[in-house]
Amino acid sequence: MEEFSAVYRECYPRVLAYAASHAGARLAEDITSETFTIAWRKSGQMPSNALPWLLGIARNLVRAAVRQTTHYELTDFPADDDFAVIELRAALSTLSEADQEVLTLIAWHGLAAAEAAQVLGCTTATFFVRLHRARRRLQAALWTPKFDRARESWKTS
Amino acid sequence: MEDLMKDLAGAKPPTPEVNQDRMERDLARIVALPREKPARKVFVRRFAPLAVVAAVIALAVVVLPEPSPPVQPAAPGQWWRVLRQQSSLMVVGEPAKPYVVRFDSKTDQWQAGTREIAVVQKDGEVEPFSPDDDAKWEAAGRPEVVPQVGGSRWVRLGSMVPGAKESYVSGLSLTSMYWDRLESFDDLPADPAGILEKLKPEGKSTYQLAELVMAVLVADVRDDQRRAAFELLRSFDGVRYLDRVQLRDERVGVGVAIPAPPQFQFGDVETQFVINPDTGKPIVRRNIITKPQHGLAASTPISEEEYLLLEKTNVEPVLPLGVTVNSEVESPIIER
Repeated sequence: MEEFSAVYRECYPRVLAYAASHAGARLAEDITSETFTIAWRKSGQMPSNALPWLLGIARNLVRAAVRQTTHYELTDFPADDDFAVIELRAALSTLSEADQEVLTLIAWHGLAAAEAAQVLGCTTATFFVRLHRARRRLQAALWTPKFDRARESWKTS
Repeated sequence: MEDLMKDLAGAKPPTPEVNQDRMERDLARIVALPREKPARKVFVRRFAPLAVVAAVIALAVVVLPEPSPPVQPAAPGQWWRVLRQQSSLMVVGEPAKPYVVRFDSKTDQWQAGTREIAVVQKDGEVEPFSPDDDAKWEAAGRPEVVPQVGGSRWVRLGSMVPGAKESYVSGLSLTSMYWDRLESFDDLPADPAGILEKLKPEGKSTYQLAELVMAVLVADVRDDQRRAAFELLRSFDGVRYLDRVQLRDERVGVGVAIPAPPQFQFGDVETQFVINPDTGKPIVRRNIITKPQHGLAASTPISEEEYLLLEKTNVEPVLPLGVTVNSEVESPIIER
C-alpha cells in the first residue's frame, strides 16, 4: 500500500493535468480519482514507471467523459493569453483527436516518445511516424490563409 | 519543427492546482477498496511436461456469424469481455519500390451464453510502419490506395471505419466444420491431459492444437482450467518455454514460442504467446519473423494481438456512434 501511495502522490498532479487538458478542469479531479481507483484495483499490473500506464487509464476515462459532455464544457482556456498562443491552440484544435494527442503528450505532458507510445498502445517506431506527421499537419494548419490573415492583423494592430 | 514543439509547450493550458485535501481524501477511500487478487505466483513451474500426440484437420476459432432468432439481452454480470489491440504489417507498393504499412485496430468482444457482440476496426488506422516507410510513401505521392506486394488486392491507408456484428454461437470451433464444437467450457477438465482429450487431437497438427489451446486461454474459463491449458501448451513438441518476456510497458511475462506456418508475405515465422505469471491471463500473442525479410529485422512482430481486457463485466456492450449492427464492414483491404 505504501508503494501505491507513493506513486499516487507523485503522479497525481500529472494525471490531473492530463485530465484537465483533455476534459476540462471541471471533470479533471473526478477523472483523476477514478484513474487511481482503477489503478488500485489492478495494482498487481502496475509497472515500475507507472505514469504512462496511469495516463493510459485516464485516456480511456477522458474519452468516455468527452462522449457525454458538450463541447463548451471542455473549453475553459483563459481568455488573456497572447495571440500567438491562442493561434497555436486554435490550429491544434483543427487537427484530428489522434494528432492532438500525439503532440500534447510530448509538448504538454513531458513524456518521452516510448512513454507516449505506451499511453497510446503503439510501438515507439509507430509513435515517431505519427508525431512526424502530426507536427507537419500542425505546421500546415498554422499557415492556412485564415491564420495568415489573422497574423497580419495582429502584427499591424 | 523543434521550435514548433517548443511553441506548443508554451501554449499548454494552465495546470490546475492540486487540492491536497481532496487528494488525500481520495487516497484514503481508494486504498480501502478491495483489490484484484493475483493468482498464485510461479504456478507455471508446478506442472510437469506432458507428451502429446500431433495430427491434421483445419480449425477455426469462435465467431461464426450465423444469424439466428433474437434472444433476450444478457442479464447483468454475464458478459465475458475481451478487448484486443491488434496490429499487423503488410508489404505494399510497386514491387520495385515496396514499403511496409501497419494495420492497427481494436476488437471489442462481449460474450454471454450463445450471444456475442463484437466491435471491429475500432480506433483503426493503416499507416506507413516506420519513418523510412513514411518517406517512401511520400515519394510515391502519398497514395490513399496501394497494391499489396505479391497479392491481388489493394490496401486503403488512413482511418478504418468501425463495424459491429452480433452472432449466436458459443464455445470453440474444433474444426473448420462448425458443428464439431466444444460447446461449453464448464465441463472442461482442469488437467492438461483432460483438456487435450476434449480438444480431439486426432488428425490435428501441433500448431493447430496450439491454436486451439490459445483460444481456450483467452476464453471465459476458470483459473485452474487456464493454468492447465497453459501447461498443455507448454508441453507440445517443438514448443520453447520463454521464462522471461520483457513487454513494452515494462511488464514481464512468461510464454511459449512455437514454429508457425508461413503467413502471406512472410516465411520463417514463430508464434509467441505470453501470459501474466501472476494471474495466468494472456497478455499478448504475436507472430515474429525469425529471419530478416522485406527490410524488416529478425524478431520483428509481423502481427500482434494484445489483450487489454479479459474480464467478466456488468457493463453492457458499447457500440460506436453511427454504427449499425451487422451492416457490411468496410475493410481496408479491397478488391482490385
